[in-house]
Amino acid sequence: MTQSNELAQQTSNRNRTSSTSRRIFLQSLAGAGAAISLGSKVAWANGEIGYWAKDLTNEQLINMYTTIQRIRWFERTGVDKMLTEPGYRGYNHFYVGQEAVATGVSAALKNTGGIMEADLVYSTHRPSGHAIAKGVDVKKMAAEYEFRATGLNKGYAGEMHIADKSLGFMGADGMIGPGPVIATGSAFAIRARGSRQVVVNYGGDGTYATPHFHSALNNAALLKLPFIYVLENNLYHQYAHYSYSVPMKDIATAAKTYGIPGVVVDGQDVFQVYNAAKEAVERARAGEGPTLIEAKTYRYYNHWGAPGAKAGELGAFGYDPLAITSFRPEREVRAWMARDPVDISRNALISWKVLDRAKADAIEAAAKKEMVEAFAWADKQPFAKPEDGLKNVFVEGSVPARQFG
Amino acid sequence: MARKSFMYSVLEAVQYEMRQDKNMIWIFELTPPVASTPGKPVINLETEFGRKRVVNTGIDENWMAGCVLGAGLAGSKAVTYIPYQGNAMCFQMLQNHAGKLRSMTGGDAAMPVVFILEMTGQTPGFAGQHSDYEIDTYYAHIPGLKTVIPSTPTDAKGMMVSAIRDPNPVVFLWADALRPMIEDVPDEQYTTPLDKAAIRATGSDITIVGSGGGMPEVLKATEQLQKAGMKVETIDLRSLKPMDTETLVKSVQKTKRLLTVDQSYYTLCPGAEVIARVAENVDGARYKRIAFPDAPPPAAPEMFLWMRPNANHIVGAATKLVG
Repeated sequence: MTQSNELAQQTSNRNRTSSTSRRIFLQSLAGAGAAISLGSKVAWANGEIGYWAKDLTNEQLINMYTTIQRIRWFERTGVDKMLTEPGYRGYNHFYVGQEAVATGVSAALKNTGGIMEADLVYSTHRPSGHAIAKGVDVKKMAAEYEFRATGLNKGYAGEMHIADKSLGFMGADGMIGPGPVIATGSAFAIRARGSRQVVVNYGGDGTYATPHFHSALNNAALLKLPFIYVLENNLYHQYAHYSYSVPMKDIATAAKTYGIPGVVVDGQDVFQVYNAAKEAVERARAGEGPTLIEAKTYRYYNHWGAPGAKAGELGAFGYDPLAITSFRPEREVRAWMARDPVDISRNALISWKVLDRAKADAIEAAAKKEMVEAFAWADKQPFAKPEDGLKNVFVEGSVPARQFG
Repeated sequence: MARKSFMYSVLEAVQYEMRQDKNMIWIFELTPPVASTPGKPVINLETEFGRKRVVNTGIDENWMAGCVLGAGLAGSKAVTYIPYQGNAMCFQMLQNHAGKLRSMTGGDAAMPVVFILEMTGQTPGFAGQHSDYEIDTYYAHIPGLKTVIPSTPTDAKGMMVSAIRDPNPVVFLWADALRPMIEDVPDEQYTTPLDKAAIRATGSDITIVGSGGGMPEVLKATEQLQKAGMKVETIDLRSLKPMDTETLVKSVQKTKRLLTVDQSYYTLCPGAEVIARVAENVDGARYKRIAFPDAPPPAAPEMFLWMRPNANHIVGAATKLVG
């Protein structure tokens, strides 16, 4: 059976077994070309339709939608500050467009209890969504992005290295490569100490080309580590299309090499992401080893900052001066924006009668207000003390100044 | 002669060599080999020489460095441009392979290759991983590698030509902060030696030694000190290995005072090597070094800019040393 036939059959089966409202929703999704296989053949054979986040309460579903909106408006507030306030110093890598991935994954994780109990998340240079979904304080994040002394990491981190281990948010990593290997080290420790935690590593399509990708999955598979590699394929590593660095369309197929599940998931649909993450988490907790999840997604802004964007408007279009080799066409950006993770989750919850329009609007308005207030709070925070740069090198004390001779 | 940036000057040198040598290759990621300058043709190595010779790779600096090394071993000249984000990722390729193969094979292996390694160093706000500068020392420490660090577009062009034509592997440290620098650079191909420091100012009171991205502040301080009446001799190292000991020693024999300035960390910074070599050869001199403290660069500009050596620090230290 070809993959598309398999897809069609799964979709039609889901249609037969789902409620009327869900059927309407599915049809609308199919119309947008949205159905992507979860590839869960075992569940299929057992008569499990594996669909629609069925174990989640209405409250949890609403929380997911709220998280998506909170990430969206945290980022959009940052974009607008970058565009309208010359004094704003943040240099953010915006996550807008990918919100459903972090939200769906974190909804399947334990996010409390610190490094000995919470599930651990290793993030990337595009960390806002991962952090917010894990529960990181947005005011402190906004302050950190502006390098304030009361920021999440006291002004040492900026955007690219935020971390909050009390929530199992192990930190953003600005490099492409080492992150997943380090994450497997945490997974190894968890297995060795017999705790029920799992480790999630986020990485982009660019990470496939690194030797570390192989090292992480090979060792995780060999040792059956509780490790989940969530590969957010937003099609571009920095300024180059992933066809420059990956010889196949679906990076998830690499999982076959290691004999572990490799799942392609629609990264714009939070419920599909959740389903895949949930299955991977259960597998990892049961000691059955790692999973590679490839979420097909897209960022609405360029690799870095907001060139081509206008304040108050979603998305960045036009020429990116750094994208000389592989330029993103505006039509590609707009085509992906037509399948917006906010709209997909909102329409689903309204269609399922979990939310009505007024409530959905209110959630969005509250998210926007919260983020505007968070950034306003951040703007009032104190700057870092210069001499504090000599601290936090070692656990104890500080190092000598050497710049004065 | 035309006004050219660092990038234009280097790519002009490479373009010429690639036109002469049809086997020569260029490997890059992120930073396209493209440059323009008013009144001159745009240089784009990728479109001119095609993807068989010029490749935009995935993010895999290990492969980039290994690729040019292997190309060199197979008899082709090769250059890779590794951006600051991935700089030390390929360290093993240089330290345990490029630097040792000539010796390990008893002189059999030849590696006519250039590793351009970018360093930021100058950028507040980038935090830890994206603002390091310490790698100058790391690479200069490796036997078997020549390690150069030009600080002007003119030197960058001439040293790139020399590096490509040199039969040994050369690490070409690229101080990214110098990217906006523009000056008149000759159009024709010329070479600049890979083993000679440049004397940027002549004087008899004090010798100030810097390199790469630190040079603009060193020159600014030199000017200020000269205006205050101090006779400053300013040396731009240009090459960390081989280090031009002779020029350094001669200068300090005259001035008897040596101040070194580095953007990399204090411990084992290039200035430490400069001072050691001079101290072995000059009696009765006084020494001081300025460097970034032994701390990772924090993100907050308030901390970072306070920690990074600048012209005021240099003026203060020089005044104390001469005083």
